[in-house]
Amino acid sequence: MASEKAKKDLAILDRERCPTGIEGLDNILNGGIPRGNTILFTGSCGTGKTTLSLEFLVHGAIAGENSLFVSVTEASDKLMKNVIPYDFFDESLIKKGTLVFVDMPVIYERLGLTEMELSLEDVSTIVKAIGDLVDELQIKRLVLDSVTSVCYRLKTEEKIREFILKIGKVLSDKGCTSMLISEISPSAERYSLYGVEEAIADGIVLLGNLERRGDLLRTLQVVKMRGTSHSRAKYVLDLTPAGILLVPLLKGGSGGGTT
Amino acid sequence: MPKSPNEIADELTQLPPSAISLTISDETYFDAIRGVVDIFASKKNLNTIYISAAIPSQSIIDVLNILEVNLENTYFVDCISHMMVGSTKRHPNVHMVESPTMLENLMLKVEYLIKKSGDKGNVVLLDSINMLAIHNSPKILSEFVHILNNNMRAKNAYIVIFSIEAFSSEEIGNMMGFVCDIEISMNKEEEK
Repeated sequence: MASEKAKKDLAILDRERCPTGIEGLDNILNGGIPRGNTILFTGSCGTGKTTLSLEFLVHGAIAGENSLFVSVTEASDKLMKNVIPYDFFDESLIKKGTLVFVDMPVIYERLGLTEMELSLEDVSTIVKAIGDLVDELQIKRLVLDSVTSVCYRLKTEEKIREFILKIGKVLSDKGCTSMLISEISPSAERYSLYGVEEAIADGIVLLGNLERRGDLLRTLQVVKMRGTSHSRAKYVLDLTPAGILLVPLLKGGSGGGTT
Repeated sequence: MPKSPNEIADELTQLPPSAISLTISDETYFDAIRGVVDIFASKKNLNTIYISAAIPSQSIIDVLNILEVNLENTYFVDCISHMMVGSTKRHPNVHMVESPTMLENLMLKVEYLIKKSGDKGNVVLLDSINMLAIHNSPKILSEFVHILNNNMRAKNAYIVIFSIEAFSSEEIGNMMGFVCDIEISMNKEEEK
């Protein structure tokens, strides 16, 4: 019985990892995200979701893994300015094509998806287009920022479920580790706007703001991650030119609620 | 007679990287700073990360400039100045933390400065435990010092924590004895 459990634990630890390059997060995840997982990075505005996902891609590109950022809400050139202040960022990553930015509205336009509400058929078309892009560019890391904005055009739970399931499967089959960025309101009691995304994703990382005696701290918590054992504790993070840094949340004075 | 800056630096030099509680008084305050920041850090070729929770970093910089201390390798994490309305002068080596209650952010700034220092060794000077105790409960402060000490130990850095004798309490004394490896006083042994 004990050896069965030991074997199972070893199998979990043995699974190939995709190191995020964020030292604190990789420690929490025992080495990184299990390769091929689709992770929901969720939080309200200003919690560091986009910054964290960009750092994940930049570290991947530096390690020689082609990385793709699919931007739904913001123009790519504006986003690129956010990675330049990183000490470790090298502009040649973009020139070489190791780090690629694509605007989702451009994909919609090329696919002729002009209707505000997308159909089930459109879902398949979008997933196929992203899959083709992953194949063509040999992408190993992908960020979709944000999945909430895509879901906004899908409207129904059925179509959202279909989209998340399909995109997760396509990316996983291609060995691509993905982050789906999800926007929630500060008071939300779930991890995604539609409640579907969180149930389907392989992992959930919750970013938040913790108010404690008038101080506002940025926090990170890995709620779920298939394929690895991990800490479920809350950490405080800082966005620095050397990348995202994490330290444990001190519990002695924790009396505030999450905003 | 209290110990001179050179004597305290010599004492620290003999120690391996560790968590050190340094008991000081008002009259030995600047000698202790000089001993750690100037003489000890120079001897060991270390960067100094100075956490200023007692007085604004600019005041310390001004005094150290008068004493002709080279501050090129000294970085300040200042958790006092942000609370002072109208304080605008900003030294390039100063990193601000909004309040002394944001203990996690203090740790994060120290982490950042250590990351930036690359292969160079570091000494972290916490000035002082008594001032942090004004703003934080003993429970969270103990947790902070414990985690900070262990983080520094893992990074092979020295950490020197000032404890001002006149403002100390039994609780702080017990905590420092519990979480620090070594306790040193600026007073000479026979005077204790």
